[in-house]
Amino acid sequence: MRRYALLLAPLLLAALTACRAKHSARKPDPLRIAYDTEVDWNNADHLIPLDYQQSQGKRLFYVYCVWCHADSTPAGPSNRPNLNPAPHLIDDGTVLNSMSDTYLDNIITLGGSAMGKSASMPPYGKSLTQDEVRAIIAYARAVAQPPYHKPARPLPQYKAR
Amino acid sequence: MPAEQMGNIPKRLRVIYAVSTVIFVAVLAISPIRDHFAGWKRYEKGYAKFASTRANSRQLMADYHSGIDQIWLPKLNVTDRCTTCHQGISEPGLLDNSVPQPFRAHPMIPHDVRAWGCVVCHRGQGLATKVKEAHDTTLAWEKPLLPIRYIQASCGVCHQDSLPETPQLNRGRELLVKFNCEGCHRVQDADRPAMLGPDLSNIGAEVSRAWVYKWLKEPRTISDSSGNVVVDGYDTNPRMPQFRFKKGEVRNLSAYLSSLKSPLVESSQIDPSVAAAWRSQSDLLSYGELRFRQMFCTDCHALAVTRLGQTELIGGDVGPELTKVGSKVNPDWLVSWLRNPQAYLPHSQMPRYEWSDKDLYAVSRYMLNKLTDPQLLGDVPTLGPATPAEIQHGRQLFNSKGCASCHVIRGTPPQKDFGPDLSNLGGKTVSELFFGNAKVPHTLVAYIQAKTSDPLSVNPTARMPQFHFDSADMDAITTALLSMTGTPTYPGFALLTVPASQPKFDPAGEFGKLYNRFKCSVCHSFNGYGGTLAPDLSFEGSRSQRPWLVAFLKNPQTLRPTLTVRMPQFNFTDQEANTIADYVEMVLQNPLVNKAGVNPKDFTPPMASLGKQLYFVKYECQSCHTIGSTGGYVGPSLTNVGNWMDAAWIEAWLRNPQALIPGTIEPRRDFSEPEINALTAYLLTLKQKSPAGSGATPGGSQ
Repeated sequence: MRRYALLLAPLLLAALTACRAKHSARKPDPLRIAYDTEVDWNNADHLIPLDYQQSQGKRLFYVYCVWCHADSTPAGPSNRPNLNPAPHLIDDGTVLNSMSDTYLDNIITLGGSAMGKSASMPPYGKSLTQDEVRAIIAYARAVAQPPYHKPARPLPQYKAR
Repeated sequence: MPAEQMGNIPKRLRVIYAVSTVIFVAVLAISPIRDHFAGWKRYEKGYAKFASTRANSRQLMADYHSGIDQIWLPKLNVTDRCTTCHQGISEPGLLDNSVPQPFRAHPMIPHDVRAWGCVVCHRGQGLATKVKEAHDTTLAWEKPLLPIRYIQASCGVCHQDSLPETPQLNRGRELLVKFNCEGCHRVQDADRPAMLGPDLSNIGAEVSRAWVYKWLKEPRTISDSSGNVVVDGYDTNPRMPQFRFKKGEVRNLSAYLSSLKSPLVESSQIDPSVAAAWRSQSDLLSYGELRFRQMFCTDCHALAVTRLGQTELIGGDVGPELTKVGSKVNPDWLVSWLRNPQAYLPHSQMPRYEWSDKDLYAVSRYMLNKLTDPQLLGDVPTLGPATPAEIQHGRQLFNSKGCASCHVIRGTPPQKDFGPDLSNLGGKTVSELFFGNAKVPHTLVAYIQAKTSDPLSVNPTARMPQFHFDSADMDAITTALLSMTGTPTYPGFALLTVPASQPKFDPAGEFGKLYNRFKCSVCHSFNGYGGTLAPDLSFEGSRSQRPWLVAFLKNPQTLRPTLTVRMPQFNFTDQEANTIADYVEMVLQNPLVNKAGVNPKDFTPPMASLGKQLYFVKYECQSCHTIGSTGGYVGPSLTNVGNWMDAAWIEAWLRNPQALIPGTIEPRRDFSEPEINALTAYLLTLKQKSPAGSGATPGGSQ
């Protein structure tokens, strides 16, 4: 009997060390591991974590878009009240969530008049790269209120009337 | 041993032999068995399973690397096995937050993951094949992953100039400069400037001993209605940190500093007839305030304003905040300073204005009587005249406390390397750090933050003063410090270093004299050198028409509808304004703008009316630009653009704005050449009736 025990002991040991590798899953705080964060415009206590692409979008938004697509700007009053129709706020999920990525991409690169909207929205296709436009869309999706959920099937490019 | 004797081996020995053989085999089996159950094998199987659920599973499996996958780049000294588990790292289809880790693709960055490796940016242990060893610190593996929050530090290891993609790193580097860290520490690639804080050689002429005492105790003098020190913002933080002095030490230091007193170089005398003329009028202070605002002192200096119980500083942070300056400075010193700041402080950034005695008298009286706080020096004990013993002791303290690291006193040489060398702090391993009594996790990030936020928590005898940073600034400073990894260890890295380039713009001649006197580069930039407070003037000569430029210099108007900062009125003489205009028109030119090639007479009224249609209907330029009192706030006002801008500039600008001013937010459009001509024709008709500057009232909103 002792012999078997002697035989088995090393095998058991080996098996145990191999199985020990299962580590406990850690749940890190999304804000601590985020590349950057943005404050929810409707709730100053709510921080939205941003990944790399979204944070690049945030930077570009605050350079190019904030002047018309926000109610306050880093330089003071917004240009939004001067415009008719009023531009959508970037975090307005009630409107933007139903627009597809392709549609938003087109509106940014080709401008409003090309998409049958107001000519007040100029085209940025020659000033921004494709990646930059995608980053801005990713940022808009991240800050959308109500939150944006990626559709299982791509949304149609034009809304049916 | 003969063969026939083999059977005679005792049974006991045979058993020992058999058992030891089994043990030997079992021990040999440990390694392959462990290998078989290794963590990464689970991820390997998991990835195959995950890939089969994706629409493009065939392609994913074609790109799949089985076994230990390794990125090996000998030139960069990279041997990274991270992709063994992070299989999908370069699969664009897996760039989605719904993809479980470790299979998610890397976000799109300017560098290709497989060409650079992982550890170059993320740190961690590239050779390790266990989750904990690769990411964390263990006894043998000492370089944990860099938290993503500070990942911009890795960009800064090679990129010494500031990239637009790394705002946190750029901010951190600015803060290291702003708070004079290099006064005491060696900071990577930064030469110590000759002077950091103000020269104190004649400080006794500027302020009283009581004020020095107060300042040394607590430099933050702005408090809210409940008496709390306001430290919530970047601007409210004076550069001077709080030192931990004992009572006697403050006494002695204040005695020493207030004894440094010599006559002022620049006269503090004001024509007696000016003061006499004001004696009969009661509105001296309100006139002084008006001129203070009209001079736009708040472009550079902040004032604390309390609105709805909240105190905030309004104004710039180029110079010190002035909310309580009247309780600080000596009246004679103030007049002398305003006349010629460089006579007192040769390195001052403040322009030397051409003051009339009337303005100077009124503004200085306003500052001395209105920008005050009677309570400011209330808690300072009666100090009396300085005794020689106090002065002697104060002089010693000035050196031993490190004051000389930032402040110069003639005859007291600054100390070199007063604090520890920080130029390789970001590359240190945990075992190289001394945590002392600090109750923080033993990581480099926690160490840097503990040292910076509360130096005493790590080392109770630290000489480092107390800085007050909010959490965003703390993260920025941590990022900048982490980016300083010292001299690159591998030759490959040294080749990658992108140096910071900011060639100094230092014109000579008559213009150079004016440029240095009025400190143009504090606010304006020239070919990348200078401040960002005001427009880039690199190509101003191509943009503006000369008569407009001269009129603007004589009386600057804001060109942007919502801007509260404006160029101060420098009271240039005609000759000075013409010297500046001559230089600007001759030198600050863009080769894309050919002024001689465009004749304003070629623009006909029919073209202008077509241009007007294009402006208002097709392109809706009024969304961003104002003409008269209607239009948008984004671009500059075009009310007077016909007098302001040159026709050739307008055409070149409409073709490609970014070619003239890189980074301008005006989008580049697809205008046809006739459209460009028509729009230019229309814009040239936009002329304000009165020439720029003469009709408008000076002053602005605050």
